[in-house]
Formats: sequence, C-alpha cells, structure tokens
Amino acid sequence: MALDSTKTEQSHKSHRSRQAGPKKKSKSDKKNKNVSDSDRKQNPKAFAFSSSVKAKRLQSRTVEKEQRRLHVPVIDRAYGEPPPFVIVVQGPPQVGKSLVIKSLVRHYTKQNLPEVRGPITIVSGKKRRLQFVECPNDINGMIDAAKYADLALLLIDGSYGFEMETFEFLNILQVHGFPKVMGVLTNLDKFKDAKKLKKTKQRLKHRFWTEIYDGAKLFYLSGLIHGKYPKREIHNLARFISVMKFHPLSWRVSHPYILVDRFEDVTPPERVRMNKKCDRNVLVYGYLRGCNMKKGTKVHIAGVGDYSLAGIAGLADPCPLPSAAKKKGLRDKEKLFHAPMSGLGDLLYDKDAVYININDHLVQFSKADDENGGETNKGKDQDVGEVLVKSLQKAKYSIDEKLEKSFISLFGQKQAKDNHGSVEQIREIEPSEGYHSGEEIETDESNDESDGGVRDGSESSDQDEAVQKERMIKSEDSGSEEDNDALDQQNSLKDRLQERVEYHDGRIRRKAFFGDDIDHDDLKDSDEVNEDSDDDADNKTSSGSDFSEEDGEDHEIDEDDMGNISKWKESLMERTVSRQNTNLMQLVYGKSTSASTTAMDEAQDSSGDEESDGDEFFKPKGEGKKNLREGFDDGNVNSEDCSKFINYETLKNWKDEELIQSIRDRFVTGDWEKAKSRNKYPEANAEDDDDAFYGDFEDLEAGEKNERHRTDDTGNGAVQMEDDPAAEERRLKKLALRAKFDAQYPFELLYFQYIFLYEEVDTKDRDRNGSGYFDKMKEEIELRKQMNISELNDLDEATRIEIEGFRTGTYLRLEIHDVPCEMVEYFDPCHPILVGGIGLGEENVGYMQTRLKKHRWHKKILKNRDPIIVSVGWRRYQTRPLYAIEDLNGRYRMLKYTPEHMHCLATFWGPLAPPNTGVVAVQNVSNNQATFRISATAVVLEFNHAAQIKKKVKLVGYPTKIFKKTALIKEMFNSDLEIARYEGAAIRTVSGIRGQVKKAAKEELGNQPKKKGGKPREGIARCTFEDKIKMSDIVFMRAWASVEVPRFYNPLTTALQPRDQTWQGMKTVAELRREHNLAIPVNKDSFYKPIERKPKKFNPLVIPKSLEASLPFATKSKDTPSRKRPLLENRRPAVVMEPDERKVHALVQHLQLIRSEKIKKRKLKEEKKRKEHEAEKAKDEELSRKRRREERRERYREQDKLQKKIRRNV
Amino acid sequence: MGKLQYKKMKGSSNLRQRLVLATLSSTPLLIEDIRAEHTLPGLHPHEISFLRLLEKLCDDCSLIINETGTKLKYQPGTIMGGTHDLVHDCALTRSISYYLEPLLVLALFSKKPLTITLRGITNDSKDPSVDTFRSTTLQLLKRFGVPSEGLDLRIVSRGSAPLGGGEVILSIPSVHCLNAVNLTDVGMVKRIRGVAYSTRVSFQFDNSMIHSARGIFNRFIPDVYIFSDHKKGPAAGNSPGYGISLVAETNEGCYISADTAISYGRTEETGEIEEEKKELMPPEEVGEQIASVLLGEIEQGGVVDSTHQYK
Repeated sequence: MALDSTKTEQSHKSHRSRQAGPKKKSKSDKKNKNVSDSDRKQNPKAFAFSSSVKAKRLQSRTVEKEQRRLHVPVIDRAYGEPPPFVIVVQGPPQVGKSLVIKSLVRHYTKQNLPEVRGPITIVSGKKRRLQFVECPNDINGMIDAAKYADLALLLIDGSYGFEMETFEFLNILQVHGFPKVMGVLTNLDKFKDAKKLKKTKQRLKHRFWTEIYDGAKLFYLSGLIHGKYPKREIHNLARFISVMKFHPLSWRVSHPYILVDRFEDVTPPERVRMNKKCDRNVLVYGYLRGCNMKKGTKVHIAGVGDYSLAGIAGLADPCPLPSAAKKKGLRDKEKLFHAPMSGLGDLLYDKDAVYININDHLVQFSKADDENGGETNKGKDQDVGEVLVKSLQKAKYSIDEKLEKSFISLFGQKQAKDNHGSVEQIREIEPSEGYHSGEEIETDESNDESDGGVRDGSESSDQDEAVQKERMIKSEDSGSEEDNDALDQQNSLKDRLQERVEYHDGRIRRKAFFGDDIDHDDLKDSDEVNEDSDDDADNKTSSGSDFSEEDGEDHEIDEDDMGNISKWKESLMERTVSRQNTNLMQLVYGKSTSASTTAMDEAQDSSGDEESDGDEFFKPKGEGKKNLREGFDDGNVNSEDCSKFINYETLKNWKDEELIQSIRDRFVTGDWEKAKSRNKYPEANAEDDDDAFYGDFEDLEAGEKNERHRTDDTGNGAVQMEDDPAAEERRLKKLALRAKFDAQYPFELLYFQYIFLYEEVDTKDRDRNGSGYFDKMKEEIELRKQMNISELNDLDEATRIEIEGFRTGTYLRLEIHDVPCEMVEYFDPCHPILVGGIGLGEENVGYMQTRLKKHRWHKKILKNRDPIIVSVGWRRYQTRPLYAIEDLNGRYRMLKYTPEHMHCLATFWGPLAPPNTGVVAVQNVSNNQATFRISATAVVLEFNHAAQIKKKVKLVGYPTKIFKKTALIKEMFNSDLEIARYEGAAIRTVSGIRGQVKKAAKEELGNQPKKKGGKPREGIARCTFEDKIKMSDIVFMRAWASVEVPRFYNPLTTALQPRDQTWQGMKTVAELRREHNLAIPVNKDSFYKPIERKPKKFNPLVIPKSLEASLPFATKSKDTPSRKRPLLENRRPAVVMEPDERKVHALVQHLQLIRSEKIKKRKLKEEKKRKEHEAEKAKDEELSRKRRREERRERYREQDKLQKKIRRNV
Repeated sequence: MGKLQYKKMKGSSNLRQRLVLATLSSTPLLIEDIRAEHTLPGLHPHEISFLRLLEKLCDDCSLIINETGTKLKYQPGTIMGGTHDLVHDCALTRSISYYLEPLLVLALFSKKPLTITLRGITNDSKDPSVDTFRSTTLQLLKRFGVPSEGLDLRIVSRGSAPLGGGEVILSIPSVHCLNAVNLTDVGMVKRIRGVAYSTRVSFQFDNSMIHSARGIFNRFIPDVYIFSDHKKGPAAGNSPGYGISLVAETNEGCYISADTAISYGRTEETGEIEEEKKELMPPEEVGEQIASVLLGEIEQGGVVDSTHQYK
C-alpha cells in the first residue's frame, strides 16, 4: 500500500528538463534535428551521399551487420510437440522463489499451490507448456539445474543486492551452454525512499548487464500485496516468459535427458522386508528432452551414477497440449497442470495403472454406488477424475454386457459374474505382463508377485514420511496375496479386486489398475465412456500375453499361444498384414524380435496406435523369419568374411543378340525414353498400392488417426508419393518452407524476403545472391529433415522407435534396477533428479585434456594434484587434475599451481566427454562458505593421452677424476643401465662448460674398487666437455620426466545422502594438514639465505722460467737489475734557503704570476675584439654583396631592355 | 561405471563389420567360438593382422585373444589416424582390399587424416582388387560428401596371390559427418574404363585380356578404354599373376565394377603339392568373363554393384 502511495506521488511530480550538464539539450542540437527531420523528407536528394567513400563504408557496414546476424543453421531433430520448457527459478534463500512459482502457477491455472515440490508442468498456451522448477540452494543442485534449465529466472533480493549464489549460478550456466536468463528483483517494498529505490534499481540493473549482456531483461516485482506479488506484474512476467525463444544448446541437442517429475520405488516389498538396505528398483518419469532416446542408451542419474535401463516406455502425456482447433486462448479445461511431487493434480498415469487422488471431502463421491451418483459432485476434479471413475464403474459392467451381445468371441471363458456384487468402485484389472519390459515373458505366478511389487511400491513411493510403515502393511498384504495365488487363483483374483485405500497426509489415495493405460483423450468425452473403455479393452488385448493375463480366470490359455486369439482378431490381423508397410529393414533383417521389442510394444500400446497393434500380429511371421535367420546363422557362424560376390555359374553369353537387346537401353547409346520409363515403372506401381491401403486405413481408423502425432498428418501426406521425383522434391521443398515458417526462427524477416525470392526468382539467380548461400543451406537442412520425416513415417511404430528412438517430448517411464537404497531413502522432491542419456563412448573412463582458467573471483590458486569437483556433461565427480602449460617447443610442462590470470592445461582422469564440452570446477561444495565457490572453468580439448605432461628433472653429479677434457662424473646416475639410457645427453657445469655423457666408466683410475677383486662402482659416467673442468665444478643435466596423471575419479553421490549434509570426498592436502595440525614441511635447502662471498685471495703470478725465456721482449717482465748506487737526484742533499733568499724567490714568483696574468687578460681582450671586428666585417660584406647584386640586376635589366629594343628595331 | 559390459557374439562371420561397428560405436566386444570346431581353429592370420592394424590406428584400445584364438575380447579406443609413417604388413592369406574396406570406414571418423602404407597382395580373386577400390569405391565415397582432396589410393607395386609383395598407399581425409544420399536412379552407362594388369608374366597377357573384353563391349558402347598396367622388376611383386578390373560409369554418376585376378593359389588352400600347378584360365577367357560379369551387373540395374552392397 505504501508503495502505491509513492507511486501516486511520483506521478504528480513534473518533469524538469536538465539545465546543465551533458544531457542538457542545446539549442544547436534542436536546430539540427529539426533540419534533419523536415528537410530530409522534403528534399531527399540534398541528403544523398556526397562522398563515395562514405557510401561504401556505410554499405559495407550494413552488410557486415547482416552477416553478423546470421548463425550457422542447426539441424533441429526434434519433430512434433516440444517438451515443456523448463523454467528454473533460482535465488538465494528467502528471496521469494517459491512465491514466484506459486504466483505464476496461479496466474496460469487459477489454482493455489500449497507447496512447491518438484517440477510443476502447466499448459501455458496453445502450443506451449512450461515446467517450473525451484532451484535448490546447494551448489550441486545449482549445477544440475543449470543443465536442464531452458530459462533461468534469477531472483535477486533488491533490498540486499546481489548475492554470491546468483553469480555462481550464472557462471555455471555459462559453462553449461548458457540458456536464457532473466533477472527478477524482489523485496523492493523495503525501500521507503523512492529515489533510493530508483538508484538501486539502476545500479543492480547495470551490474546485471555487465554480467550477461547490455540490455538483459531485469524484471522488478515491486512488493507483496496480501502475501502475493501484484497480479499485474506477474501477468507481465508471464508474458515475457511466453514470448521467450529458446535456442538449442549443443550439449543438450546431442544428448537425451529427462527431468524427473515423478519417482516411484517398485522394489518387491518382500525383498525390502528381508533386507532394508537391498538395492532398489525405481521408476522415474519425465518428458524426454534434448534428442531422441534410443533403446539401450545408458543413463546417468545426477548424484547417483550410471545405470542401464531395465525398461523404457512411452506413456500418454499427462499434461497434453490442447487440440489444434482454431480458437483464441485456452479454455479453462485445457489449463492442465501436472505436479505429482507437489501432490497436486488429480490423476497419475502409469503404464499399467492410473492413480486417482481424491481429497478428503470428496470421499463420499467414490462411495456412491450408483453410477449416476458421481454427477452430484462438483469437485474440481470433476472433468477428468470423475469421468475416469465413472468409466471404471461402468466399464466392467458394459464389457460383459457387450461381450454377451457381440458376435466377437473374445474369451474362451466369460468372466465370472459374481465379481459384480462387490462393493468396490475402482476395479483392478491385472496389469499386463509387459511392465518388466526388458525381461522375458514370465510365468503367471512370478507375474503376480511382481505386480504386487509394482502396486505396493508405487503406492508407497510418494514423498511422505510414513512410507516405511505403510510398506510394512502392504508387504503383508502382498504376502497374503501370494498365498492365495498358490492356493487358488480364482480366489486370488477376488483378493486382487479389492479396493485399496491409503491415507497420505490425511488425503485418501486410491488406485485403479488397468491392463493398459487409458487414453487420456478418450476419457475426456464422457458420453462415450462405454465405447471408449471397450476400445481400451480391445487395445489391451492386443498382445497375446496381455490377453491371457487379462481374463485372469483363463488358466488353460497359454500366454504365448496365438491360437487363442479370436476370429475377430484374426480378421483384423489379416487386414493389418495386408496393409502393413513392408520396409526394407524388415525385409532384410526380418521383423524385430519379440524379446527386443517388449518395451516398445508397451509404448505403442500406451499411445494407443492402431499400427502398433498390428505389430503384435506379426509375431508369428517375425518369429518364422527369426528362426530362418537362426538356421542361417548356425550354418554360417564362421563363414568367410568376404565382400566380393560374383556368381560365375549364372554368366550369360553376352554375344547373344537377344541378350544384347535386353540391356541395350542401359547404355547412353540406347533409347533414352525407354530408360526413363524403366525407372518410373516400379515406383508408380508401389504408389498405387500405397494409396489403396492408405485409403482403407483412414476409413477404418479415422478417430484414431486424429489422435496421432501431429507430424503424422504431414507424414501421411508424404507417403502418398507423387508421380515423378521432381514433383516429390518440389512438394518436400514446399513442406520445408512451411515448416520453416512454423518454426519462426529469429530470422523472420529474412524468411519473408526469401519466400518472395523463392516464388519469383528462379534458383539460378538465388545462387548468385550473396545471402543466398545461407538460405540454401537452411533449405537443404529443412529438405533433409522433411525427407527423414516422410521416410520415418513410412515405418511402423516398432521399427520407427528402433531406428530413431523415443521422440523428444514423449512422456517416458524409465525403469532402473539395482539403485542404492539411499536414493529412495533420501529422495527429496525439492531436489529434482536429472537423468541424462550417455552418448557413445562417454561411459568410458580415460584421460581428458581441458583448457582451464582459475576463476578470477576465486581467492586461491589451485594446487596441482589437489582434488577438485568437476561438472562435465551430466556428471559431477571429484578428480585430481594435473596442471600444465605448453612451452614454446610444444612440450607440456607441469605446473605446481594454476597461473593467476591465464589459461592452463588441466589433464584429469574421468568419464570421457566430447571436445568443446564445458567444465566447471568447484573445490568445496559446502554451503556455509562465504566466498565464491566456483574455482575454475574449463573446456574439454581432447580425450586421449596424446599430450605427455613433463616435469623438469635436474640430475646433479660431481667429478671424481678429471682427465684433459674428459671427466668421470659420479652421483649423477645410480647404475650403468641408467647411463646407457642417457648416452649422448647434454650436460653442463655450473661455470657454463658444456659437455656430453659418453659411456659408463670402465675400471679406470677414478673408478677402482676399494678391494682387489671387487666390482668397480656403478653409475660413474665418462663425460667429455668443451674444456677442462675443475674438481670444484658441479655437473648437472637437465632432463624431462613424464608425469603420470593420477587415475582417480569419484562420482559425487549427493543423492545418496541427506541433502543438507555436505558431500565429503577426498580431502586436499591443505585440509588434511589443518585437520591433523601438521605444519607445512619445509626444505631447508629451499630457503633463501644471504649469499656470503669471501674475498678471493690471489697468489702472485709466477711465470715459469722457460716461458719467460721464450716470450718476446715486449711481454717479458722487465727485470732491471738493482743499482748499487742511487741516482744523482736521490743522492743530492736537500737545499735549505736563507730567509732573504726565500723572500727574493717569493718575489720573483709573484712577479712572474702577475705577468702571466696580464698576458692572459690581454689575449682575452684581443680575442673579443677580433670577433667583434669579424662580425662587423661580415655585416659589411653582406651589405655590399646585396648592393652589388642590385647593381648587377639593374645593369642586366637595362642590357636586356636595350637588346629587346634593338631586336624590335631590327 | 562398474564392469565393462561386453557385447557377446559368436563365430567369425562378419568379423570386420563387427569390429568396425564396435569401434565406431565404442562398444566393447566379446566374440567366442571362432572356428572352434575347425581343423584350423581360431583366428586366421589375416584376421589377426587386421586386429593389429586396428591397434595401430586406435589409441587406448585393448585386444585380448586367447591361446587358441577362438575367443576375442576387444575394447575399442579412439581412432587417431595421422600421417606419420604408418606401415602395415598384411597377412598373405587375403588381399589388401580385405583391410582397405574396413579401414576406409574407420579412417573417415579418425581424429586426423590418415595416410598408411599397406603391403601384401594387391590383386586377388577373393576380394575386390585395389584397382576397383580406387576406381569405384573411392568414387562412391565422394557421393557421401567426403572431400576428394586427400582421398587417394596409390599403387606403388603389385603383388599377386601366393607371395604378394605389393604396396599401396592409402590416404583418407577425416570428415565431420557424412551426407545422406539419395541414390535411386542408376542412369545409363556412358563409358567403360578398366585396368588390366600383369605381374611377372608377358605383357601380351594384358593385351589379350583387353582385346577380348573390348570385343564384348563394342556391341554396346564405343567409349571403352582399358589401360594396361604391366609391372616389371620389384614393382611386380613376388609371384606371377594377371587380372582385369572394369568400371562402368553412368550418366548419373554411378559406378559399377567387376574384377578378377588369376594367379597360382595358395598351397594351404588348395591342399595340393606345389609341383602340379593347375592350369590357369587363359587371359582371353578372363577378359570375356569379366566383361560378361560387368554386363550382368548392369543388367541387374543397381546403383552400386553387388560387391559394394556388402559394405
């Protein structure tokens, strides 16, 4: 409210234009603008380019700008509905993350979310779904969140300013591909002063910009009203989110991944009862993102480890997009919303079960026995849940009824009617066998057991605390069940048809089992519940094993016996057989075998495709083929591996005229027309066939077809082939164009231009066009994509999944076996699980080279071989890198520490990641750290150990014996073998004399054994030098030793421990020292001490006599013989003057001094005078020269005049 | 991580494909029962030689063969390639093409472009000859977007069947990805080319092969040119032999090939004693036969010939 008042105040304040400063509008400015505005329109010619240089420059600039806008087009392999975009809301604690999510969810769905736990999927628009995730506050959660975020909302506490978490998250985002980022400032109501608020906003905005890019969107949520954000602001935020475009990120485009929005433990309870710590089987659910997931892909569960999938199945979308009917906006019914972990949403779909959550006050609804009783209820879940329950109530009744009436003899024995009488509303139909998708078909009993497992596990699995207790109860239940099974299956069936009611947080949860998933769409139209359920039942019976399972009483029927399929089925089968596409793959390899496709079959069943049903019917044929192949294989298991295939027996005599004529047209010398027709003929034929059966297809399954995937529509179009390939290509091109339109890439304008071009200008012109290349590339890509789609659409669903995998956007159910029990135990819905597919060769462990840079905000440099936690690809693990730097000669020299502000090479051992993958390194994952936690960022360069890291080694030795230029060096090597290795190596003495290692020293003077008959000492090398060395010299050799990278990597198992606990891995040396109170070891030799240099005492030079004699005279030392008598001067005694003599002498000296002084003065004077005189003279000379020149000129002029006159006169 | 999951297989059939695919998809491979029941059990020399070649090309790959050679454990590494002196002496039980075919596929996806010298038998009746490889397989590869520069096979010397002595230098560029191709129309044959070779026999063999092959083609198309490649001295290898390789090129850029080589067989194969050498097929017949085979291939109308469908 306070804020509102400030707002009103603000609006009253009038704008005061700047009176001074740079923003002041000057008059000249105004004038200029006016001129430019008005005149330019009036007289455009006057403002054309006056300078060609300028024009050229401007033109090149525009061209450059245009080119910069272009990106290399990426092949988008995701067709069909995109998965919901993940919006990660991140921020420091207490900033209002969950409130933002709640407000957004409320804005989209008009529902109040009590608690934000796990991903929340909502339908936000006609073509857009969003998944909101709250980012956990620990760094592990942040790293994972950065890997799956499509858009990150960074919440910033405006009253506090930026916190480290925001910057850490930004850095993690940047490394892992940088998805879209939007900042949201909250807690702005704490500002009382409007000016201060404005200033803060400005400041924060600019800081935010420097971190991301100028102009990055920073949103302001002004404050809370009734504990909620203002509606208008949330509306605006939602609008920003809805127009956001998401670019494909290279890592994600090439790896499938799933953000788990539902997690179930399906371990058989018996096993858990026996051993609480046993490995669990879990189910994870989520939308498939990234790229298609092929069967057999291994997955990495972030924080747990690598697992192979025990089963994979596509489920019906729990939160489907509305139908494509043309209308504006979303209906209320279509504002779906799926948040299983938050305990919201009414229905949970499984492959073999649907869970219905009914609130406490709606319980009586399910108790009403009458079928119409449900309609009295006006609960929120009426539209979906109620219909479902009704369908369940009706279903059984109507099935039986129908069965009686219908001419189809579905079952050998009808279901016992006494089941009717029971009171339960939610009927259980035994789940189909197929949920153990990876496994073989099981026997009845084992099936029952496992079914019990599924049921109980999934019931118990939610996020409640009371899981354990419930599990105990249930396990008892199942135990009894099994007993019953053993006794009598009829009884057990009755048991199974019990209603199961559980209390979860005061909320009743019921469960209904089906043989198969019920199609969501079918459930919606409540009018046709009966037929639909009937259809579903039909679908369920599609596979032979399902069928036998379903009418549980039918014990006689063998599961795999195809003979039991009813006549109706048979006819259907035949029809399907006849219309089945026979693709090349099937012809060559036979139908995909049953064992390998179980999972896929289920997937098809769940998606309710008619084609997939047909697939089951193929079994006998496929098996036959398989047998054939096996037989073939058996015979040729060791057949010769040879590519050449020439059959000499069938050689024809090509001299025969008839034969010649038969292939005449295959040569250019033949008839070209005929050759063309030859190519066309079989295609046309095939096309006719296709048309025939496709027409049929649409007639029959019109309803089904509508529900199929959107691309299928185009696909069916594609199947109907045109007459000739040119037309086909044209059609594909058109499709490609349309797809491009649909895609609405950031280059919309270009497209428009392009399309005009395409229509008007022929292709040759386009090729010449500069930007045509880009368009051509895009067109090619799109064309290829359409070709792929049409080709894939030709396949039946099973083969298609086999080839391209599960498509992105599918809601997948992954079954993973043997997960540590801690994962289940410490499962926290607030920490969403990321399941990422592992690419080829990425599970292999090896050495990786990365270019690493210590983060500039990280306080310390990193020590070589100290463990750090890296996040590469999906994984997080601890490893011990070796830092190195490349020397000028290409050698990788080991570093002890990372450079301060430079990149260095870090090599570590770990699961391989492809080159160019970003790496973020963290040293400490604890939460109670104030400093910036990201230690370094890196990028993977290569993953082999091609680059050997070396470190410098100095081998030091001392001479033992010196010959002329040869010396025996000891202590450099330990054995003669070592010397042999280093023969020829360069060595050097401290004084700079270079030398070479020759060989191990023989028994010589310097290398003699102590005792007679003993061995000479080993490791003494004979070396030669360029000069004689001294005994005091130290000889050393510089060598390079390769360093082993420690083979250590330790995956971070943060999901296997309580989330608030800090993960503890290998400790750094510093940490260990700190813990054990150990001082850093010091090497005394490494200390720098003041260098003491003794003054050198030199002995006098002594020249040998012989040398002296041979020297030339000049260099000979002059040995003058000592005189006996001193020289005369020395001999003369000193003269002592008398006082008057001295006076005279002094006087004379004075006079001399005076005279010399006078002469000096005079000389100086004369000098000066001379100079003056010379200057005077020079001046005069100058003047006279000038005058003379003038005179000369005058004279010449007159002469000239005279001459001219004379000439004229003459 | 845990233990490596080996893909288990049985028998020696398609060994090359299995190894190539395992390497490309970096899947560990375990092959058992390799000719366990045969008189010559285990891996044959050429297979072992190929495995060694793989080891040479790859970094960090491990290869374990048991004593009898009936069991093979292969863990692929990364394909390195490189241009430094890579030389491989191929086993003489199969010709060089046996190694070339998988090498071609592997080297395309290596880290660096590959240049390798292979020594052994260049022409053999069992495998396509190196001439065919050069004229057809490499041409075919260009359709997949492999750049033509750096893609080359040079025949330094030829070696015929029992003793070999031939040498070829193969260089293959590395590609980022292969293009998808849409090859459906074979088109019409516009020219026929070929190479007839002879080592350690009279050069008349070449001429008669060419003559007889031309005799058949002349009824169809005039544009036939068959080169003769008579080798002498060290370039002719260690044993006598002759053969011909023909390629039909269509106007749609398809190549259809047929080839053969005639030489004295290996002793362990024929099981005969060296003295009684069997009669070799006369060159006239060879020429005629291969021409007929080529026409047969053309008649079938595939965009590639049956030899190249195998890869």
